[in-house]
Amino acid sequence: MNSSRVGVRALRQAASKPNTFFSHNIPRLALANLQTRGAATTPTLKPEDAQAILAEQRKRRPVSPHLSAYDYGQTWFGSSIWTRITGSIFSGSLYLFSAAYVIAPLTGWHLESASLAEAAAAAPYALKSGVKFLLAWPFAFHLFNGTRHLVWDFAVGFNRTIIKQGSWVIWTSSLVTALGLAFLV
Amino acid sequence: MASIIRPTLLRQTGLAASITRRAASAAAAPTSIFALNSAFRSTVAKDAMRVAAFHASSRRSLLPPGPQVIKGSVNDPAPVPEPHSTHGSYHWTFERAIAAGLIPLTVAPFAAGTLNPGTDAALCALMLVHSHLGFQAVIIDYVPTSRYPGLRKACMWLLNAATVLVGVGLYEFETNDVGVTEAIKRVWKA
Repeated sequence: MNSSRVGVRALRQAASKPNTFFSHNIPRLALANLQTRGAATTPTLKPEDAQAILAEQRKRRPVSPHLSAYDYGQTWFGSSIWTRITGSIFSGSLYLFSAAYVIAPLTGWHLESASLAEAAAAAPYALKSGVKFLLAWPFAFHLFNGTRHLVWDFAVGFNRTIIKQGSWVIWTSSLVTALGLAFLV
Repeated sequence: MASIIRPTLLRQTGLAASITRRAASAAAAPTSIFALNSAFRSTVAKDAMRVAAFHASSRRSLLPPGPQVIKGSVNDPAPVPEPHSTHGSYHWTFERAIAAGLIPLTVAPFAAGTLNPGTDAALCALMLVHSHLGFQAVIIDYVPTSRYPGLRKACMWLLNAATVLVGVGLYEFETNDVGVTEAIKRVWKA
């Protein structure tokens, strides 16, 4: 039993049926329940000490958003940081490819679609499908999770069970979509 | 009863251990700015318990925060940024509109199986803006002006230059090659 309830129960019993033992012991029971504290512990702070404490507090603030800032029991699996990570993969690839395509005539690289398709066709099936899956999953996840975040932006679907179910739906559907895109298309 | 006292005990023990470790490392590395200020260290060691009491979540060191710059006194409020017509809620809505517009543009060409230069050009433009805004948000979050003012400016200008270069590249690819949608389709089905 929670210790804080002891005094309450004693008081209730004393109120319902007069009992000499309890009515005599109520003050003691109530005292046993009190928290004890020392005298005021706030020292006078010099301004530079206050600055130091503030700096120490600010160092403890998390840099957000990152992967360990979310609760596994709630939004971790569908968090926006996953959309950001998967999106950064594709945006980074787009930036690298386009920049490389601009300087390709100077360096002599062959980045035309025809030579890229040839290179892909020459790769073994397992490698090709593996790479396709590794590209298709982040794509599907970014699409689905991004769509869900657009829905969330209308302040819809913040029930905890709906959040959990949504995470399951997003992970399974993105994995199924990625498998389909990698091996069937 | 144990469950009531355990979190506090754990937090205090962990904190005491980390303080000792930090004090030891600061003493070992005299070049550290904190080591130069012994008053700072003693104050921190003395008051860290009280500081920790206000932080309910545990410490995460996956992305350590950058150097701390405190302007003015401890009681100065955080500065309110100047209102700007292209920032704030308009910017936020613009980001979402671009993202929402990309959904049909991404799915439609592959679903319909047709090649339309207009759709492809729109897809490229929206992808470029979407990527640019996304990278901007990443820089704003992880390279805060208050901690890395110079690096923040450099990152933003590097991003602007990269976006222009990528825009030129996408234009070249669209005009000289088969277009983004068709290229992805050919490589994917190769």
